Amino acid sequence: MEFNQFKEKAFEIALAQGCDAAELYYVEGDSFSAMVLEQELDSYSVSRGRGLNLRVQLAGKNGYAYTETLDAPEALVRRAMDNARAIENDDDHPMQGKCEYRALPKRECRIDAASEREKIELAMALERAVKVQDTRVNRVMRCGVGSDSALVRICNTLGLDAEGEECAAYSYAVPIASAEGQVKDGFAFRVDDGVFDVEGCAKEAVSRAVAQLGGAPVPAGKYRILFENQAMADLLSAFSPMFSADAAQKGLSLLAGKEGETVAASDVTILDDPFDAVNPRAFDAEGVPCATKAVVEGGVLKTLLHNLKTAKKAGVPSTGNGGRAGAAAPVGVMPTNFFLKPGTDSYETLVKKLENGLIITDVSGLHAGLNTVSGEFSLLASGKLVEKGKTVRAVEQITVSGSFLSLMRGVEAVGSDLRFGMPGASCFGSPSVLVGELSVSGK
Amino acid sequence: MIEKRIAENVLAAALETGGDYSELYMEDTEQNNVSMVDGKVENALYMRRSGAGVRVLSGGKSAYAYSADTSEAALMAAARAAAAALSGVKEHAPAAFSVTRNCAAAPEKPYSLVDNAARIALLRDGVKAARAYSPEITQVTAGYLDVDQRVLIATSDGVWAEDRRPRGRVNFNAVAMKDGEAQTGAISPGRGEGFEQFRNLDMTALGSEAAHMAVTMLHAPDCPAGFVPVVIDGGFGGVILHEACVHSLEATSVARGNSEFCGKLGQKIASDIVTAVDDGTMPGEWGSIRVDDEGTPSQRNVLIENGVLKSYLVDLLGSRLMNHPRTGSSRRQDYTFAPTSRMTNTFFAPGTDDEEEMIRTMGEGLFAKSMGGGSVNPLTGEFNFAVREAYWVKDGKIFCPVRGATLVGRGADVLMQIDRIGKNMWMSPGMCGSLSGSVPTNVGQPRIRVRGITVGGKGGAL
Repeated sequence: MEFNQFKEKAFEIALAQGCDAAELYYVEGDSFSAMVLEQELDSYSVSRGRGLNLRVQLAGKNGYAYTETLDAPEALVRRAMDNARAIENDDDHPMQGKCEYRALPKRECRIDAASEREKIELAMALERAVKVQDTRVNRVMRCGVGSDSALVRICNTLGLDAEGEECAAYSYAVPIASAEGQVKDGFAFRVDDGVFDVEGCAKEAVSRAVAQLGGAPVPAGKYRILFENQAMADLLSAFSPMFSADAAQKGLSLLAGKEGETVAASDVTILDDPFDAVNPRAFDAEGVPCATKAVVEGGVLKTLLHNLKTAKKAGVPSTGNGGRAGAAAPVGVMPTNFFLKPGTDSYETLVKKLENGLIITDVSGLHAGLNTVSGEFSLLASGKLVEKGKTVRAVEQITVSGSFLSLMRGVEAVGSDLRFGMPGASCFGSPSVLVGELSVSGK
Repeated sequence: MIEKRIAENVLAAALETGGDYSELYMEDTEQNNVSMVDGKVENALYMRRSGAGVRVLSGGKSAYAYSADTSEAALMAAARAAAAALSGVKEHAPAAFSVTRNCAAAPEKPYSLVDNAARIALLRDGVKAARAYSPEITQVTAGYLDVDQRVLIATSDGVWAEDRRPRGRVNFNAVAMKDGEAQTGAISPGRGEGFEQFRNLDMTALGSEAAHMAVTMLHAPDCPAGFVPVVIDGGFGGVILHEACVHSLEATSVARGNSEFCGKLGQKIASDIVTAVDDGTMPGEWGSIRVDDEGTPSQRNVLIENGVLKSYLVDLLGSRLMNHPRTGSSRRQDYTFAPTSRMTNTFFAPGTDDEEEMIRTMGEGLFAKSMGGGSVNPLTGEFNFAVREAYWVKDGKIFCPVRGATLVGRGADVLMQIDRIGKNMWMSPGMCGSLSGSVPTNVGQPRIRVRGITVGGKGGAL
């Protein structure tokens, strides 16, 4: 069955069965990825995927059912209605009606016109470039390229009909550096037309690998800490659920009820900008028009992130942050392009301001070593030891521990080097940030 | 799921450009989730995932194409798309299906016969018990999951295999709060069986345990940082084996020389008392599979025996690159992933040491009672994992609970430092993420002791 036919049938059945409203969230797309090894194509993958999530509203409750086979609208409606009847939460979850969206600038990327063969050639070139950067790198663990395109459509019986396209291209390299029995890997990626920056990507990946050579732990203690931009973006990403109104309303965020209060140092401004070029979108996962907002401004918490349900409960408008963790997931709350606004200090200035302490370049185990409810983290980290404003040596096998809110309050300086992590449904970015003292364990 | 004639055509089309092996994987999976917040059902979800993937190998190279559409035309298109990655001429044709492995037995109580009321009823007692545990418990969330995955694997070397993989799990998460501080406790048992598995689970005890953990941690000082002896309790404590060692024994890392355990077969990599096993055959366990995602029967693999490395975990691609037999370890989250070598039920075999003695004689250090998740970089062996419930030990006695502990180290170091292994082994379920997605795996061990690990935490000396 085609989508439109399935939609009409499903809506007709849902309304006839007594649903107040029904909505379809439909995604279909193609993806391509390839990895090269020693100048040969090593693995290759292409796909054509689709998914359709039906949401029905029955006596104010939402029920969901998801399928990838568009053959049985009646059975899907029955599943969704069963699920709506099971809901006991009394909060009203309205659906978005027909509305207008801001027109996004047309995506113009040269890479979109490249053939698979040409993209694979770029990956080969990247591998070659990586191998000539440094004599300590003679192997590449992974080197690849890929692209995704997806069409998202949200339609409901209230007249909503939103359609958007998402495209992305990427490349990455993971070189292995070794010296004196020590082995380290580095990672760098480029997105969209950045993929053509083969030399830059290779240099960055290699420098991230070789910079770790000679690393050793430091004695346990309190250290002044400078998080490099990518490590800080990872930390911000992992703690972003604290800014969800859904988490706050469920008593799962220490930021609950803190709107209007100072939660961070005055240098800290956190923006959620759906229109940022990193991944622009006009509407959220329930068809609400997206809007740019400061979540934290000058250290003051201005708003949490809302979808239609949490907004109704709080008596505020949705911030356009309805999100789905994949097409099969229910509507929750998700950031769009969420980032710490850059300041004016160059990276070099931050290192001077650090004076004595540690630069953290990588943190690991974010899904395990931090807790968004308690706001606490204790993470495996690596980086550099800084003495008198100068980098002395690499540091590995340490943990860095603290609480996210104390860390935000302790921010001493915010760098100018804003950088976003790998793109996804949400994108997270940060400049490098000097955060003051944290506990470190080592040997 | 599909006629053999169509499968044959698909496998043949995939070999048109010089591939020497092709494989069709088809899947039809149903899943139900229920979540409860504040004692009320928050969401109920149904999901049906269905599609197919075609893989072609040529020596050590691979190409994969998948599609949600499983019509004959779409499967042929996928086969041709995968084949297009190779540029040779046809050299191989698929063999007739001569090996049939039908493992698709129905569970005692299939999830398709269970309604939402029965699912929700399971959660109520646990939530109630957690809330009743202490006035400091401010929130309890609970979740229920059931999955019924049916797969068909047809390969050009003549294998026709079917498996049905039911699994179910509940989880209880408690939050304790006081003076603007919050701590959490969590528990989440599950098995690779039908709904009958929940018959003997004591939901009240589970809810209380999650609450106990949250309240205990709320009153605990921050864990001190340092390099100290650590006793890790049984069950999910086995995550140390999973992260610190076995990920680095997977062909995904070993085949390309990207593991610290490359070339170490037959060598001593752990202390003498260590024996480690990955066993996918254990009936009804969370990580069990009857055939793997290449149609190979699962098996019991002794990875380390008395400290000596005996085997890696190897899929077909890995076996070609490593010249090592396949171990029935090829797995994938679903049809959107090509399969690769993965764990199933992985554990330290029971030893002979006394569980109390290992704390009594440890001096000052950490007793990690309940572990959280972790991760590892197989290249360097650097691992990390979180401890959900931990106690500081002084002079061989439990001194006080401590919060926010993380253990980090290097796999090869920590395996040699294990100096005690207790007698009683048990396992706990987890989800393991890697190149072929997220798959259910059990981790397990008896209580063990490690002479020294770097413990991360933000506290000072106690």
